[in-house]
Amino acid sequence: MELGKSAVRLTVVSNRARPGQDAPFATYELDRAYDEMFQSDGGPRPHAKDLYDTLCTLPIAELERRQQTCEQSFLHQGITFTVYGHEEATEKIIPTDLLPRIVPGAEWDRLERGLKQRIVALNHFLKDVYNDGKILNDGIVPRDLVFGSKHYLRQMRGVAVPLDAYVNVCGTDIIRREDGSFVVLEDNLRVPSGVSYMLANREVAKRAFGDLYRAYGVRPIEHYGQELLATLKALAAGFRDEPRICLLTPGIFNSAYYEHAFLARQMGVELVEGRDLLVHDNVVYMRTTAGVKRVDVIYRRIDDDFIDPLAFRHDSALGVPGLMNAYRAGNVVIANALGTGVADDKAVYSYVPAIIRYYLSEEPLLDVVETYRCREPQQLSHTLENLDKFVVKAVGESGGYGMLVGPHASLAEREAFRAKLKSDPDNYIAQPTIQLSTAPCFVHGGVEARHVDLRPYILHATDTRLVPGALTRVALKRGSLVVNSSQGGGSKDTWVLPT
Amino acid sequence: MLSRVADSLYWMARYLERAEHSARVLAVKLEAMLEQTPDDAAEAWVRVVAALAWPLKEPVAGTPDILARRLTLDKTEPSSVLNSIRVARDNARQVRELISTEMWEQLNRQYLAIHSAEVEQEWSAQPVPFLREVVSELNLFAGLTDSTMRHGEGWHFIQLGRYTERAQAVSRLLDLHFGDLPADVKQPLRAPRYFDWLSLLKQCTAFEAYCKVYTADVVPAKVAEFLIFDPEFPHSIRFATDHIQEELSYVAPGAGGARRLQAERLAGRLKATLDYGQVEELLAGDIDGFLRGIQASCKQIHQSMYDAFIGYSVDELLTV
Repeated sequence: MELGKSAVRLTVVSNRARPGQDAPFATYELDRAYDEMFQSDGGPRPHAKDLYDTLCTLPIAELERRQQTCEQSFLHQGITFTVYGHEEATEKIIPTDLLPRIVPGAEWDRLERGLKQRIVALNHFLKDVYNDGKILNDGIVPRDLVFGSKHYLRQMRGVAVPLDAYVNVCGTDIIRREDGSFVVLEDNLRVPSGVSYMLANREVAKRAFGDLYRAYGVRPIEHYGQELLATLKALAAGFRDEPRICLLTPGIFNSAYYEHAFLARQMGVELVEGRDLLVHDNVVYMRTTAGVKRVDVIYRRIDDDFIDPLAFRHDSALGVPGLMNAYRAGNVVIANALGTGVADDKAVYSYVPAIIRYYLSEEPLLDVVETYRCREPQQLSHTLENLDKFVVKAVGESGGYGMLVGPHASLAEREAFRAKLKSDPDNYIAQPTIQLSTAPCFVHGGVEARHVDLRPYILHATDTRLVPGALTRVALKRGSLVVNSSQGGGSKDTWVLPT
Repeated sequence: MLSRVADSLYWMARYLERAEHSARVLAVKLEAMLEQTPDDAAEAWVRVVAALAWPLKEPVAGTPDILARRLTLDKTEPSSVLNSIRVARDNARQVRELISTEMWEQLNRQYLAIHSAEVEQEWSAQPVPFLREVVSELNLFAGLTDSTMRHGEGWHFIQLGRYTERAQAVSRLLDLHFGDLPADVKQPLRAPRYFDWLSLLKQCTAFEAYCKVYTADVVPAKVAEFLIFDPEFPHSIRFATDHIQEELSYVAPGAGGARRLQAERLAGRLKATLDYGQVEELLAGDIDGFLRGIQASCKQIHQSMYDAFIGYSVDELLTV
């Protein structure tokens, strides 16, 4: 293994960098974006060289065969979502790309420290805004921004949360800027999903490139289930000795159901639906064949709004009537806590560096994307002037909904959005369009560059931990910057190296 | 175990048993047709439809080929093999975290295969091998269930579902067949009747096992004795009812005596009927009534099991 030793051996073919002449890379193009495999002169990065060499030696037909095996495996495991046609529903697999994205160990370690710092600070923030509100009194974060957020839950005021850990599972979206530095795009603090795809991608990538995997000494991630279980158990420590933990799912029609079942199996906990639970005298029970049994910890994969029809949306059939009261009474732990969405609001996002300084007296280790808050008149007019360059997002949305990618939008779309912005500026923020980094993907019988992001999963209870890996989401359309699975994105495995 | 989960496992097993039973009966019938006159075949198919497409929504007509296709692949026929596999797989998806990955992948593969675009072509080319393949894939699933899943409460619910369905399906099949007994039930049969009874044995995958006990002479009284009362043959009614009684005592281990009393009493009574019944008595008396009684008992057991462990009223438990 000669990682790091190999110098750039490839010569630049033309002024326009064109990595390699070898078969699978014939149509690979580099542009302004940082590329995960190639340097700007077209040679492979030292850590990516072995993967590059492997790809150059494998016949395309063999890569195709491996890609098919990988898709078959997803299909048979049922890692699918349902597409409803006019006659019947068909199941499609979640697109997965064969080629691993490689992250050098040193880069990962810096990232990990930054993520831990961030989640600790955000937990302080949540405790503060649901109790004393010091950060608001001190004028660091505007009061109306917090109280006006649609994810702020008054029902959570003064509620004691075990270990003051509000966010127990977080899936932060990280992107790489053109200079190669990592930057946080979004904190997902409510019910982040996708971790099962991280694990499923690992399974297929190991099968497809076993020798390479071993030679690289990739850091393992398979213990995620155990780590999650340990986190959930820690939340009930001192409250119940052998806590009964369950995972609350909306049911088989939810697009993430595969993941819910997968995690329940990995942890060995019950997978429950709202109809399996009931609340009596502020205690939560589940219906079993031997009668009802008390439940102590609920890892919920249902949004705040739907979790208790008595407290929130009355039309929700997914939730458990009375759950909020049981929670307030301290008889059950819910992870993540309710109301955490206020801290991943896109307007609060721009204050996170200040939040880190305020609670931890440290400088933030991870950058955020420069953000214009349209609630402020000057920043609004700046945004309106640069609508063709900016990405504009609604503050309370996620999943790529309610957003405008200026450079890719038509004039009509931009004008329509301009009107929305003017009528409700408080609801929007704007950011310069960032060229997400590109990584090699196996498409159309060759290897081409596609934009990717990175979603690691951070766990937090008594301490903060993450497995060394992440979901790399891929914008499968050439040139597209939208990686969300709801918008046609796919994913691939992420290999974190020892050094 | 969650009541909903027990419910899904139980129904998954019932639908798989139903699919296996239907596929086997259809395969045997299609093969048997080769040795029958068109009239005999048509009459035999009326019984097949009555045994499998049940309850009947509307009178079913058509050539044997059309009927067999309908009972195998028709998406609008609730009791088609395809629909049974689909519903079983839906139930398995609900309890994905409880069954083993091997089981899930086997069932999912079979579901995908029978829903694929090529299936019609395979069917029209060779329906019998197609059905045999379905049965063998289902047997594989049953084997995986036994060898990769913990034999805990969930597994017992699966067994309960399987044997409840089997007891009902076999007694329905016999009920339809015994409506037309020969005058002397103790005489070995000759062709063409012989083939009809041979086919009955094969529909219960019982021919070889029967020969080992009674030799290859097909005697109606002995066939009845074997398929109803044999204690060791897995597709006899007695074998199924013995298992229903046994599995019922293993499920819901935490549920107290009072709650399980009714279901256990009914299952015990049914077991006793089969353990101490006599074929001579039946043949001299009301065998149809007897077989229908078994089906009714199975339904009652199902209902009281449901009331005790799955659809119970919570208020009673909490106010105690």
